Amino acid sequence: MRLEEPAALVALDREGARAIGIDGGDVWSGLVKKSSPLEAHVAVTSQCGVGCEGCYLDATPEGKHVPRAELEATLDRLAKDGVFTVAFGGGEPILRDDLGELAEYARARGLTPVVTTSGIGMTRAKAASLRAFAQVNVSYEADRNLDRIERAMLLLKEEGVPFGVNVVLTRAGFPTLEATLERARTLGAREAQLLRYKPAGRAAKLDYVSTRLSRDQVAELGAVVERISCRMQPLGFRLRIDCAMVALLSDVLHDRARDLERLGVFGCEAGASLCAIRSDGRTAPCSFLDVGDVAPAGTSAPCDGCNLARVCRGGCRAVARFVIGHDGPDPECPRVLRHRESSC
Amino acid sequence: MSEELEEHIQVVREGHGANCSSIGSVIDTLFIAQVAAGALLAVVAASLAARSESESESESETESETETETESETES
Repeated sequence: MRLEEPAALVALDREGARAIGIDGGDVWSGLVKKSSPLEAHVAVTSQCGVGCEGCYLDATPEGKHVPRAELEATLDRLAKDGVFTVAFGGGEPILRDDLGELAEYARARGLTPVVTTSGIGMTRAKAASLRAFAQVNVSYEADRNLDRIERAMLLLKEEGVPFGVNVVLTRAGFPTLEATLERARTLGAREAQLLRYKPAGRAAKLDYVSTRLSRDQVAELGAVVERISCRMQPLGFRLRIDCAMVALLSDVLHDRARDLERLGVFGCEAGASLCAIRSDGRTAPCSFLDVGDVAPAGTSAPCDGCNLARVCRGGCRAVARFVIGHDGPDPECPRVLRHRESSC
Repeated sequence: MSEELEEHIQVVREGHGANCSSIGSVIDTLFIAQVAAGALLAVVAASLAARSESESESESETESETETETESETES
């Protein structure tokens, strides 16, 4: 069930659902099998001129916009399937002139539209056209195009569009993370989502290992996240982590599985709560994986003896497939690293 | 009703994650005081209860209006 105030997705048991007048009917009786993602990521274009080295989709200036009719058909299908949230991405979504109209189309079908943008190319008119989105996230890279990104944030704020920032955690950016988030807050962002650097698209190359967080930084990450949470949450600035981060935080989270479940903080969501629809129309388990299946998680050592496994689900498949060549326990999880070292 | 609902809440995903490449979940609630996490559930339960009551009222009003309309049509 979706709530608007406070904004939340809430899962109730059947007794609770009946208490507020909801009955699952044929789904609850098992006559109908229905399982839909909570969230779908929809690439609305493969065009982008920014050229970020870590672009997970290898978007280029020569990329193409997905035809409007195809996107509307996709949104119709997602709404019919019972998906709650649709996150538009690309490429650079704001290069489309009809982005706001697509958000309204999604709203009219009961979907909650959100969008991620680099902010490059944002104008006041464009910012105003994004009001149908529940939230816009701006990719906040402290060392690239900062003036243009912050101008986009200012325009969103002035036009009353709720926005947050996405911050990819890299070795170079980690030491200034807290200052970066504080800067985003003062510019009007209401939350930050911390993203793990993933080896997909242009980032799937050898310098991935020197760009990702160092082992020392991963060891420090839990304390940093806790410190940021305690300082900024009372100021109304919320902190999110992405699904790939759970494994990195396993040392501080491994005794909190029940709490994490209750707050909906899970590891790999690929092909379960999440699907990604590419600009060519194909559906993948997530934006970082190719079209195809995802192997079951957490069934081999050391995940099989880890309290966190049912939440973490074995960590990020995109990282495992790049680093060790196949699905398996997340090779960057501190507990997995120690297990491997002790087994040698 | 809202207090009874609290125990039936299994998962609360807060806010609108607006990232287009991976699902994001609010983590700060985990690190703030236990009482604040409890307060979140209470607020959500109260909101669910209010929404349910509002929908029930709306349905009864619609039914009442329909009945009135039907009565008028029958009378005419």
